[in-house]
Amino acid sequence: MDLREEILSEIDGKTLNYCFSCGMCTGGCPSARISDSRYNPRKILHRAVIEGKLEDDIWLCTNCYTCQERCPTKTKVADLLSLMRRIYVKEKGIPDFIKPLVENLEACGFTAQIGELENKRRERMGLPEVKHNTEIKKIIEKTGGGL
Amino acid sequence: MTDKYAYFIGCTTPFRVSNYDLSTRKVMDKLGIELVDMPDAGCCGLYYELINEKTYLAMAARVLSMAEDLKLDLMVLCNGCNGSLFRANKKLKENPELKGEVNEILAGIDRQFKGTIDVKHYVKVLWEDVGVDKIKEKVTKPINLKVAAHYGCHLMKPSEEIMFDNPKDPASLDELIEATGAESIDYYDKAQCCGGYVLAADKDIAYAMTGQKLQNVKKAGADAMVTVCPFCNVMYDANQKAVESAIGQELKIPVLHYPQLLGLAMGYEPKDLGLEQNRARVDPKMFG
Repeated sequence: MDLREEILSEIDGKTLNYCFSCGMCTGGCPSARISDSRYNPRKILHRAVIEGKLEDDIWLCTNCYTCQERCPTKTKVADLLSLMRRIYVKEKGIPDFIKPLVENLEACGFTAQIGELENKRRERMGLPEVKHNTEIKKIIEKTGGGL
Repeated sequence: MTDKYAYFIGCTTPFRVSNYDLSTRKVMDKLGIELVDMPDAGCCGLYYELINEKTYLAMAARVLSMAEDLKLDLMVLCNGCNGSLFRANKKLKENPELKGEVNEILAGIDRQFKGTIDVKHYVKVLWEDVGVDKIKEKVTKPINLKVAAHYGCHLMKPSEEIMFDNPKDPASLDELIEATGAESIDYYDKAQCCGGYVLAADKDIAYAMTGQKLQNVKKAGADAMVTVCPFCNVMYDANQKAVESAIGQELKIPVLHYPQLLGLAMGYEPKDLGLEQNRARVDPKMFG
């Protein structure tokens, strides 16, 4: 499916049509400021509309929602960025830097493996034990969210 | 006022900052708020917002269903968990078709999302439900320090959904800090994100962002920084040394979880609040 059509088929995606490329999102974006506009949400939205292209820079969004709060047309900029990342995953798979997190979730239900060491520390602090679960693995399998 | 909550600690807190969990339990106890543990609750689903929406919603709905079974609202410690669980709860309550699809997935693990509870970050519980006045009544050892508040992002944003405080000019955490006797100072770029979310994707951007904020906090003359999210805390505290190397400046800024600051003001000893586990050194003598 065409990227634009795919974005517009989602609830949050419909607001892509509100964007008139004013750049308020990028003007307030901490990631744009620090990366010298290597990350540029205005450009990313524009590129999606005009060229129908997704590139790796979408992963530099810090998900802080400053863009979305500032947007004068109520375009859900941050939600669009999350949506574009989900479309990216559908096309190209889960990026390497997220893989360990998925592996941990499948192994124990937490994003990090909380093992004996952490639980011993918790016990010394008088805190209850944290227990692994297998339900999250089942959810990931059933929804096709695995590696 | 609800005085009993299902208590969700997420992943980062037990893995990296159990002193956050410890100090939260202490202050809630003093305020007469009972916390019911969910030891196998696991992850809220946050990162799956970027991977697969069905997985995200089902993971969040699973946690929500556990609180529903307890017939209690859910209290969270983490801004990330707050954003993820609050928004999933809202989305599923408002969209019966989506709720049906998610419940088909949850049926495989004998769970069901009903939509009967609310999700609250503990800052919301303290500020809206308990109230600053009642907190002040419990302060026996006022703090005499200048503190820089860090609200983080998903406590209030996206504001059209979360509808808590005012992200353009927030007051909740500043008032909660001042309730301890401390002065909550203004500083440049107070609303800026910690950068933690891009740490895995681009460490340079993340550390530069963390470093800028720590520099601003230092410039403003703060004695300490206070966070209300385990991941923001890890960025400013545990990663402070790495950030110092990245920006080439020594910072040495003590970073406390808010319940540690409140706990000290309530008369708890530093050890009761796990203060010795904070990574940037906190001198207990600074609290008088």
